[in-house]
Amino acid sequence: MSKEKVWHLYSRKLTGEASQDELMELQLYIEDHPSLQYEMEALEQVWMQNNQPDKEYLEATYLLHIEKMKKLGVEPKHLDDMVESEELLQLSFFKRNKRKVFAAVMVAVIVTAAIIPLVNRKNAATGSANTETAKAEPKVVVMPNGKNTSFKLPDGSTVWLNAGSKLDYSKINDAGNREVHLTGEAFFDVVKNPARPFIIHTSTIDVKVLGTKFNVKAYPEDKTVETSLVQGSVEVFVKNRPGEKYLLKPNQKLVLLNEEQTVAKSSLAANKKDINLPIIAITHLTYPKNDTLAVETSWIRNKLAFEDESFAEIAKKMERWYDVKIIFKNQELEMEELRGDFSKETLQQALDALRFASNFRYKIEGKTVIIY
Amino acid sequence: MPHKKTHKSIKDLQRRIAVYEDEAAYKELFFLLFQSLTHFAEGILQSKENAEEIVSDVFISIWNDRAKLNQIDDLKLYIFVAVKNNAVRKARQLNKDATISLDSINVEVDSLYQSPEERMLSTETVTKIETAINNLPNKARLILKLAKEDRMKYKDIASLLNISVKTVDNQLAIALKKLATAISEPLRKKK
Repeated sequence: MSKEKVWHLYSRKLTGEASQDELMELQLYIEDHPSLQYEMEALEQVWMQNNQPDKEYLEATYLLHIEKMKKLGVEPKHLDDMVESEELLQLSFFKRNKRKVFAAVMVAVIVTAAIIPLVNRKNAATGSANTETAKAEPKVVVMPNGKNTSFKLPDGSTVWLNAGSKLDYSKINDAGNREVHLTGEAFFDVVKNPARPFIIHTSTIDVKVLGTKFNVKAYPEDKTVETSLVQGSVEVFVKNRPGEKYLLKPNQKLVLLNEEQTVAKSSLAANKKDINLPIIAITHLTYPKNDTLAVETSWIRNKLAFEDESFAEIAKKMERWYDVKIIFKNQELEMEELRGDFSKETLQQALDALRFASNFRYKIEGKTVIIY
Repeated sequence: MPHKKTHKSIKDLQRRIAVYEDEAAYKELFFLLFQSLTHFAEGILQSKENAEEIVSDVFISIWNDRAKLNQIDDLKLYIFVAVKNNAVRKARQLNKDATISLDSINVEVDSLYQSPEERMLSTETVTKIETAINNLPNKARLILKLAKEDRMKYKDIASLLNISVKTVDNQLAIALKKLATAISEPLRKKK
């Protein structure tokens, strides 16, 4: 080996760029040339030392930096302060409205009991924490479009299952396993059990909780998969991003772009600049004016609500809610943002209400709605 | 060598800023990189005030674009490149005749630090190494700083400075050989 090459190998060793073979080669060379040993060890000492950051200088500089941002009006907000006050509000809401929520649930159960025989009527009607299980019954609940329901799981947790959704809880057993598989949308009120986390699997995310109230919306046909937390805390694992874990605080919502819906766009572009939406974002739940129930969870009170969502997204919700197919003849309408809040309205009444805000016409033909 | 740890923690901070708008993570990132970046910009601008201004501006744009931060593969390299571009632009603004080349970037390397517990080298040896670093050509000293102080990979240094990986490899080998030679030689001023 040439004398020059030694220094190449030595530099690569210090910088972590050397291969195993190169390290070996260097080692052998140094053993043959002990005179190099002292110099190399001394330099290695120097190289390994990290310079100590000047904390005082950095604190002062960071303060100036934030001052500059304040002048520009772009300084970081303290998210924690915000969340805390909202959490208090949310908790008091849950106490006040408990009865109302259960009243709504009762209606839902009566409507759907004929279709879903395994719904535990007594539990839902009384709202008691009855943990009695029915082992022989099927453990998959499917809600067709146009219906929703709620029921208790064998571990005592309560689930509200929205229209066009499926929940498989066959893995919940007496041994303490608490794992379910969800397609579509469900609201969970999970009984606390720190020793046994409750896990919801969907095709794109896993949500792990200890005890809490939250909503998971994971319809394969929707643009986003959303996890909305009302109370407690949950961890969200995104399947194609191993090792990443997102912790939600009350009133936060994790929105994940649904890859099945966006893959066509992103595979075109190796340059990611074209995608404006973040792949994952955490936002806050949306509360309509004069209401304490978030838009994200209003469906459990038998309300179809949306706040400034695109007509295309709203149409997907309406398709499930009213069990119809909605077709747009005018693509510009799909982009329009609308808000609405329906409970007892018929499909026709709901469409008429939306027409107040947007300039469109519609035609209902059996189970198909044409918007033009 | 401790490259990986820093790299991973920057990835984590990046994610926390992008997803949670986490100010604590933003501050940590600032603390982690501000001094390195200011030294680098100062090498281009030859003014500490201007260098700090440039780096602070780049950090503001990082916060403003936080929603898109997760799309950046290597945030540290991204910030270094942004600082370089802004510093070069500023230098041209201040001095129309200035030609900014690799050889004109005159960075200072921090004085060598030895923790008291690990003090293995004599003051004399340390002085010899420091003197040798200061006597290196600008380009070699810059590459040494990026590799040693900023723990940058060869390919990142190459891409930041628009040179080949081979040049980085050569320059660093030459620099380290000079430092090693200096250790075994008596101090120059004593000659």
